[in-house]
Amino acid sequence: MNGGETALERARARMLGPSGLDEATIGRALNELAGRGADLADLYFEATSMRSWQLEGGRVTQGGFAMRQGVGARSVHRGHVSFAHSADIRQGALLETVRAVRTLERSGGAGRDRQGIAPGRRAAAHDLYPALDAISVEDASAWIAILERIDERARSQDPRILRVDANVRATDTTVLVADADGMLAGDVRPMTILSMVVIAEQDGRRARGQAGLGRHAGLEGFDAASIDAMVASATAMALNNLEAIPAPVGEMPVVLGPGYPGVLFHEAVGHGLEGDHHRKHLSAFDGRLGERIAAPGVTVIDDGGMAGRLGSLGIDDEGSAPERTVLVEDGILTGLIQDRLNAGLMNARSTGNGRRQSYAHLPMPRMTNTFLANGRADPADIIASIDRGIYATEFDGGQVDIVTGRFNFTTIAAWLVEKGQLVAPIRGATLIGVGHEALRHISMVGEDLAFDSGMATCGKQGQSLHVSVGQPTLRIDRLMVGGQAG
Amino acid sequence: MTMLLTQSEAALCEAAQRVVELAARRGARARASVRHEGIAKAAMRGGEVETAERSGSQNLSLTVFHEGRRGSASTAGFDKAAIERVVEEAMLIATYVQPDPDADLPPADGLAFSGPAPQVYADSPRSPEAMLEAASALDRIAGGIAASDTRLCAGESVAAATEGLWALATSDGFCRSVLRSNDARWTVMLAQDEGGSISDFCQSQERQADALSSAQSLTQEAADRARRALGARAIGSRRCPVLFDPRTAATLVDIIAGALNGVAQYRRMSFLPDPLGRVLAPAHLDLQEDPFEPLGLASGGFDGEGIAGSTRAILRSGVVEGLFLSTFSGRKLGMASTGNADGYYNLRLTSTAPSGDRAAMLRMLGTGLVVTHFQGGKTDPASGNWTQAVRGFWVEGGEIAHAVTDVTLAGTVPAMLNGISTVGRDVERMGAIRTGSILIEDMQLGGRA
Repeated sequence: MNGGETALERARARMLGPSGLDEATIGRALNELAGRGADLADLYFEATSMRSWQLEGGRVTQGGFAMRQGVGARSVHRGHVSFAHSADIRQGALLETVRAVRTLERSGGAGRDRQGIAPGRRAAAHDLYPALDAISVEDASAWIAILERIDERARSQDPRILRVDANVRATDTTVLVADADGMLAGDVRPMTILSMVVIAEQDGRRARGQAGLGRHAGLEGFDAASIDAMVASATAMALNNLEAIPAPVGEMPVVLGPGYPGVLFHEAVGHGLEGDHHRKHLSAFDGRLGERIAAPGVTVIDDGGMAGRLGSLGIDDEGSAPERTVLVEDGILTGLIQDRLNAGLMNARSTGNGRRQSYAHLPMPRMTNTFLANGRADPADIIASIDRGIYATEFDGGQVDIVTGRFNFTTIAAWLVEKGQLVAPIRGATLIGVGHEALRHISMVGEDLAFDSGMATCGKQGQSLHVSVGQPTLRIDRLMVGGQAG
Repeated sequence: MTMLLTQSEAALCEAAQRVVELAARRGARARASVRHEGIAKAAMRGGEVETAERSGSQNLSLTVFHEGRRGSASTAGFDKAAIERVVEEAMLIATYVQPDPDADLPPADGLAFSGPAPQVYADSPRSPEAMLEAASALDRIAGGIAASDTRLCAGESVAAATEGLWALATSDGFCRSVLRSNDARWTVMLAQDEGGSISDFCQSQERQADALSSAQSLTQEAADRARRALGARAIGSRRCPVLFDPRTAATLVDIIAGALNGVAQYRRMSFLPDPLGRVLAPAHLDLQEDPFEPLGLASGGFDGEGIAGSTRAILRSGVVEGLFLSTFSGRKLGMASTGNADGYYNLRLTSTAPSGDRAAMLRMLGTGLVVTHFQGGKTDPASGNWTQAVRGFWVEGGEIAHAVTDVTLAGTVPAMLNGISTVGRDVERMGAIRTGSILIEDMQLGGRA
């Protein structure tokens, strides 16, 4: 069990108790913060500890430990956000932080003082991930052995594997959100990321392969089979890239494999549907709700409540429960991603997507787990349908320009396809398109929905968060491929 | 006088020395780094305050070296219990890891116990009120410019100020501290016509507010950039000469520097293996590093290990003369630290080939692409493969013909460096890097027209 009283207990023990805070003090701070008629006022307490182990040159010679905690205080008056944060959460510092927010509220002004806020309303319990300590030093020897095994296995796959770097990074985060409406909600967020990079060399040419696993779990969430599959994937990528030929140039059919390539929908659809961009009329999708933006059969969903996915949240960073929001249904634009601030200003409601990198950052509407729903095509038929084009299975991130809707992403594992057959691996190529155009060219959607391996992150206005992306195999009839071969 | 800091330089030095002393009591040699930062920031749009922010942060990090092993730990809390925990955790890590003979403090005689410390702090108004005032001024002017052209709409205008303190102490008795400041302003402008919308921005960043671009020129430049990007068209795939404007050129300089970093070198994650003494670029190119430029955005008297950098050539006449090494990466490569444990200091790329201002560079480009924005892509550090989605302008006969979008560029970094024919005198400073526009003779452009 997590969330609910379980998480509140943990937050009391880890943050409030040691700092001499109790709910009454938090209530007083909120009274002061909400001040004269704030539309929204909240306090976000966070304590995070991190432990890492790094393998290089076949041995684990580095480790790290870090801890931080703090509180972010926010008040909103008619869209004007005042924000201050502090690494010290003891009573005096908390009240000092709240006062700093009040002095920033230059345009706050009139209204009545709120009084008597007593945090009472609780968020429900959840079981999306356990309320465990992912960073226990008891696990150190086991993690070190896992890292050494990764090195050994990667090298034994092929003599051309020149170097292996791997690391594991476990974080243990406890958050507590209290708002001026009396809500008090906590969450315990364990997370472990295991990742590796290999370099292969042949005849003076070098190539890189990478892979990783991310879980809302500790050591127990990592079984040998998944780790071996990760090693195989990284080494295969490096060896393929060693043989890669220059990628073709021009518009052509593109098949995207299942899993991480779903970043297409994160970039081309998701970001353009974040409430803040719509409130400010910045998005290329502004005013297009209800319109067709993609081919029939294209259904895109953001769901923060999926077990086992790294974008999932027991509560978002404003204390709201996660939701399943259908962004595109059968090609029609149907939903926006909202946090409390933007929903409030747009006369809508939060969809449980208010997220922040840390207590030192402001929440924004952010994606959770965003994916394309299954279609009916056989993935093999999709590849076989290509006369000349490319097939890509892994990308290195992606970007979108919200205003124009132009997105791009760069392949790190891709093949040239001719007459339905994979001909040869190709070097990294950047694929570009415009969201509402590219999505209209989706002509086949497979039945093999898969998600990324837990390594997907999303950057927005300098804040980085873990998300998940997914899709089944699909075919886009026309997409611009920018390779080196003229 | 500082406005945003709540702790003194002396207190930070004392904290760093104290934690080194605690590690010494456990029999370890150690290095401690303590940072404290204060930030004020205001964002305005359409005459309204969007966000006003006042914040402070601090961090103490400790690395211990014990019996050939090392361990690192850090904390944002400076109370006694947190400090003791950090020492405990760092020592504990050092019991788990394997020994590494290269992981030790640098030799004490290489430390910059004294020596030049370039000025990196200057007084400026940095209160939250000053930021609101500065953002208001930008927003007002941006609104005025937008009101005079129906195609324009002012986006966000932001003023931000940072003051920072950093103290470094080691078991060898090293203890020095640095006070830094940073002032930044930026304005976003949107332009719209029947072809669609586009946004662009202009920013200025300095160590003191007086040195920043004026609010008028910043907003005007943002408006001009957004307006010029209207009417963008795709063009067909071709090979052609490419001129990277100074902002995108700085990214290319960063890629070169990344490949010459000691960590990339010893991890064999560089497309330039064993680069010292090798010809990397045409003989007209030089790349200089200067740690000591007064008020430079990447100036410093010593790095995170307490070692001073030097004013030196990284590339001389196209030949690699220097790498960016820490003590650790240097030892892995059998070399001494260059004082670059935190990366490179101020860099300047120059060329002795015929060159000129922006107009002259367009004439030298002749017919080809000017790149103003990298929209996304990747440099593969191992193979040197480079691919980017870009936007910019198509130039014919030295004159801008139209804006260009939906195109890609691809190549290998070594081939691109070899193909540099000159660097412009239209020099701009982007953070640590100063460069003019870079002209490359021939590249593969991908387009769909």
